[in-house]
Order: sequence, then C-alpha cells, then structure tokens
Amino acid sequence: MTAIPIIIDCDPGIDDSIALLTAFVSPELDILGITPVSGNQPLPQALRNTLQICELGGRNDIPVFPGCTRPLLREPIYGQFHGDTGLGNTRLPEPVKPPETIGAVDFLIDRLTLAADAGHGITLCCLGPLTNIAMALRIDPRIAAGIERVVMMGGAYREPGNRTMTAEFNMLVDPHAAHVVFSSGIPIVALSLDATHQVILGPEHVSQFARVSGRIADRLAELMAFWDRNQVERYGSRGGPLHDPLVIAWLLAPRLFQTRRARVFVEYESELCMGQTIADWYDKSGQEPNADIVTQVDAEGVIAFFLDRLSRYAAKGVA
Amino acid sequence: MAVEIIIDTDPGVDDAAAILLALASPELAVLGVTVVAGNVGLEASVRNACKLLTLAGRRDIPVHAGASRPLLRDQVMGKYAHIGVFPDQIVPPTDLLPRQVSAISFIADQARLAISEGRRITICAIGPLTNIALALRLDPDIAQGIDRIAIMGGTFATPGHRMPWSEYNILADPHAAAIVFASGVPLILFPLDVTLQALFTQTDLAELEAANGPAGRALAGLLRSFDRSDIQRYGRPGGPIHDAMTIAFLLQPRLFTGSDAAIGVTLCGPTAGQTWMDPYGKSGLPPNAVVMREVDEAAYRRLVTTRIARIGAAPHPIPEGRKIKA
Repeated sequence: MTAIPIIIDCDPGIDDSIALLTAFVSPELDILGITPVSGNQPLPQALRNTLQICELGGRNDIPVFPGCTRPLLREPIYGQFHGDTGLGNTRLPEPVKPPETIGAVDFLIDRLTLAADAGHGITLCCLGPLTNIAMALRIDPRIAAGIERVVMMGGAYREPGNRTMTAEFNMLVDPHAAHVVFSSGIPIVALSLDATHQVILGPEHVSQFARVSGRIADRLAELMAFWDRNQVERYGSRGGPLHDPLVIAWLLAPRLFQTRRARVFVEYESELCMGQTIADWYDKSGQEPNADIVTQVDAEGVIAFFLDRLSRYAAKGVA
Repeated sequence: MAVEIIIDTDPGVDDAAAILLALASPELAVLGVTVVAGNVGLEASVRNACKLLTLAGRRDIPVHAGASRPLLRDQVMGKYAHIGVFPDQIVPPTDLLPRQVSAISFIADQARLAISEGRRITICAIGPLTNIALALRLDPDIAQGIDRIAIMGGTFATPGHRMPWSEYNILADPHAAAIVFASGVPLILFPLDVTLQALFTQTDLAELEAANGPAGRALAGLLRSFDRSDIQRYGRPGGPIHDAMTIAFLLQPRLFTGSDAAIGVTLCGPTAGQTWMDPYGKSGLPPNAVVMREVDEAAYRRLVTTRIARIGAAPHPIPEGRKIKA
C-alpha cells in the first residue's frame, strides 16, 4: 500500500502536538510538510512548538514551513487552554532543527501545483485556523486540483461554541479563511465539536498512555494532564476533548466515525455569531453539500487507536 | 533618481491611460505591471497589459498575473467588462507573455528587495486591491518597503458609478480594501469626488493624436470606441480618466489638493463597498490616508495628453527657417 501524502497545517497547541506525535509513527501517512499558522499561539511560538514536537517525535526529517502571522481580516486571538508556551507545563529542549526558509503559503502553492500536475492529490490535515490554506487558494486557485481533501478540526453544529456562544475557536480566529475553504469546492471532512466532545481524554487515560508510550511517556503524560478542563458539568467527566488528533484518527481508522453530508456555511459578518458554522441538514439552502460532517465517534475505539499508535514510541527501532 | 513604482491594474481603458502616462515619464521607473481581475477578467487584463507595454516599446517591463477573483465576494465585473481584450486594430496584438511568478509574489519580493537595499517602492493601485492585500498578508513585513500606495478608489460625496454607494474598485473587493486601509502604509486616495472633476473631450483626443504616435493614437481610439462621456451626469461634454490621476500625482503633486483623513470601508449589509472618511476626527481614529479633493483639470488633461502623445512619435519637425547647420 502506498502511503497517503499529507500536509499538516497546525497551531500547536497541546492537542495539535498529540496529533503530530500520532502521525509521526504512522507509516500509512507520508508527511510532506508541516505548516504552522497563527492560532492557539502567535506564529513564532507555534513554529517553535512544531519544531520541538518534531524533535520529540524523532521526525526532524519533515520540513516545517512558517505560515501566516495573522488572520485575513480579524485581529488575532489566541487559545486559552494551552498554557503560556502552548505546550502546557511541558518544557522541551531548544529546537536544533531550523524552519524552512520558504513560507507555508508558497510551499502549499508549489507542492499542490506539483500534485495537480501529477494527478495525485494531497490530503490537507487542518488543525488550526484556515488562513494558510485560504491564502494559497486565493493566490493560485489552480491548486484546488492538487488537494485530495481537507480533513479539518473546526466548527460546531449541534454543540455550542467553545470560544463564544456560537463559534469554535479555529473558525472564530479566521472566519473569512474558513469561508474561502468551504466555498472552494474541495472535498471536506469536518471534525467539529459535535465529534470531538464525544472523545474526552480523562485522567485514567493519561496514566494508560503514560504506561505504553515508551521514550515520550513523561512528556506525553504532562501534555495530556494539562489538557484536563476539570469541567464535569460540561463534558460529563474530568478530562479534555481530543480535538485535533481525531483528524489523524479519521484518516487511519475511518470505521470509527460516522459522517453526514451537508452544505456548510460560515458566518463572517455578524459580530454576535462570528465564526459560527451552520449545516444545512435538511436542504433548506438549495445548495450542493460541501462537507462530510462527523456526527458519531466510537470513543473507546478511538482511545484504543491512539494507545496502539503511541505505544510505538516504546518499540525498538522508533527513533 | 526616478521614483520606482509597481502599477497594479485591471486594464481597462483608463488603466491604459495610467500605464501609458507612466511609461511616458522619465521621472518614474516602472518595476513591473501586476494584473488583477476587475474591469475585465484576469486573462483579458493580462493580454491588455502586455499589449500596452509592447505598444509603448517597453517589453522589458515584466507583467505578472495576480488574483483571478476577489478575496470573499463574488466577482463584480466592471461597467465596461464587455471590452475584454482591446481590439487589435486599436492596440496591436503582441506575443509578450506574463512572467511565471505571480503578481503577489512579485510585489512581496520587490518590497523585500527594497527593504534590504534601504529603498522604498511606490504602488499605484488602479484596480481592486486584491493583489496588494494578499501580498500584505503573505508577508506583513513588506509594509516597511512600501513608501506609499496611490489608490484610485472610493467615493464620498459623489454617487458611485457602479452602485450608488460605491466606486467600482472598492465594491469589487471591499475586504481587500479593508486590509490595505488598515496596513499602516501611507495611502493617497483618488476617489470619484476628484476623478470626475477632469473630463476629456474631443479636443483632448485630437491632442493625443496630434503627434501621430502609436500610444496616443491607440488611447484616442480606445476612448472613442468606449465613450465615457455622460452629459446628463456630468453636465458638460467629456469623460473621466480616473486611474491616470495616481500617476499624474507622482509627476506633479501640485496639481492636486487633498486632506488627511481616517478612511474605511463597509464590509457587510446592502451597502458593502461603501467608503467613509473622517476628516474631522469624529471617529477618534488616526488619519490613514490623504484623500484628494481637487485637481487642476486643465493641467491634468494637458499632462496626460501631451505625454502620451509623445510616446514613439517622430521628433517634432524643426521649422524650415530655424534649421541648425550640421
């Protein structure tokens, strides 16, 4: 089987880091590059965190391209649950590996143009605000032909928002970019809060991960422990939702997810509802569906999937 | 030293006048022509830019194709979109092609180069502001390499020509305009309030053709074929040449009077694309532009016509009695 070529667009971020560490030990994925963007953290910190996680995962072979430093139109806002550095209390060594000199948007355009010419689309795993992708699409719309699909963590349909009453963080940061992506015609799989709130990483899971994950165990357990929202009323238990890693799980174990196709609209005009994602479940808009929205997740299956993957850091031969 | 400019454009007849005026002016060094979808679609605009550079004998100046659509809104075509590619009998065909590098990268690269060499470039923005907005978002640092952006766009006291509340370039991409307005780069705005003060008449067309130069003839041909006069609206004969004001200002700033103001653009609702200005500090916002209010019409018309007429024209014949002995 040939590996699925992917580019990971992210804003690490604790849950981004878990997603990256999982992708790193998944030979079914060919990670062509990582493109950090301003989101959970300002770009310099998101970039540094990406490089540190690459080193932690032993994947300095993957090029990292610095992305956009701010959203298209709105002033930047940052995440609230990732600690001062974006990686909780986890302290990682100074990264040795430098970022690439070309920027994320130029990399996306160049690499996706190649993919379009070769007729082999690349899957974009979008874990942060969609600024980099929207920029690339507007500068060179032909790259759409080089994108197999966008698998994104973002949005909230039947769940309320997590940053405002109506908006999920990634959509709120850059709703204009989200509109560009949702109106692009590119196949989209959306892992919204509807899905991610079904998978709560609790304290009992943290100790399980700590037991199996070998040489990254201490760091991984620190990251995961910091993620505990301690909001039982909201999430039904201790722990925090496993947002971004679900993108990787969907790619590798789609059987754990159920989806429903619908047209998605993104609000980018009303300040009250800014960044709200609206799904046309019952064909009220008369417009063609543009996304597969994940509605159901096998939470136990997903936790087992991540335990299996991250246990590979304990295996011999993993850098 | 010549002022280094990039012309960001969607030619377009009055864009043609702006480009030709710049090419006719040794005070300006045109680093490149960056093209954006607007008055006409991107491909036709690129063809027209290439045709104009060839016409003026300046195939050395690179043409770069940019954004083929606005950032968010659906494309609104110009009132004169039907022009498409300029007719070959007016502006001859060319084999000149745009360069590989996109307009957005070109603008960013030129600004970065300017920064590294301690220079600053000027941008004349005479189409929707999509390319410039994308360049500013691609690399926000380039703002430091841009001396100023002279924009043909917006309208305040004068009703719009594409929609009553909006001038075309801003209407076509209000989000891009918002990005450029908030960029911190010094802006000089030429709204309809000033561009409609100068109307070009048959006398001006005759002036363009007087020297029988190819550029003057072509521009007169374009203005004749796509007549912009509207006596009901303007109250007198003649049609405006909006875009060339940005170039004329760089050549002869004294032709214009303007004032500092905070300017902005409405992004949503039925009047999206409407520009507002605050010359009296009511908004508490600091001025971000010089908004031009008046032009010396006669001098502007003379500048445009005489300079463009000169391009590629035979030198003035010397009257018999004053021949200088070899």
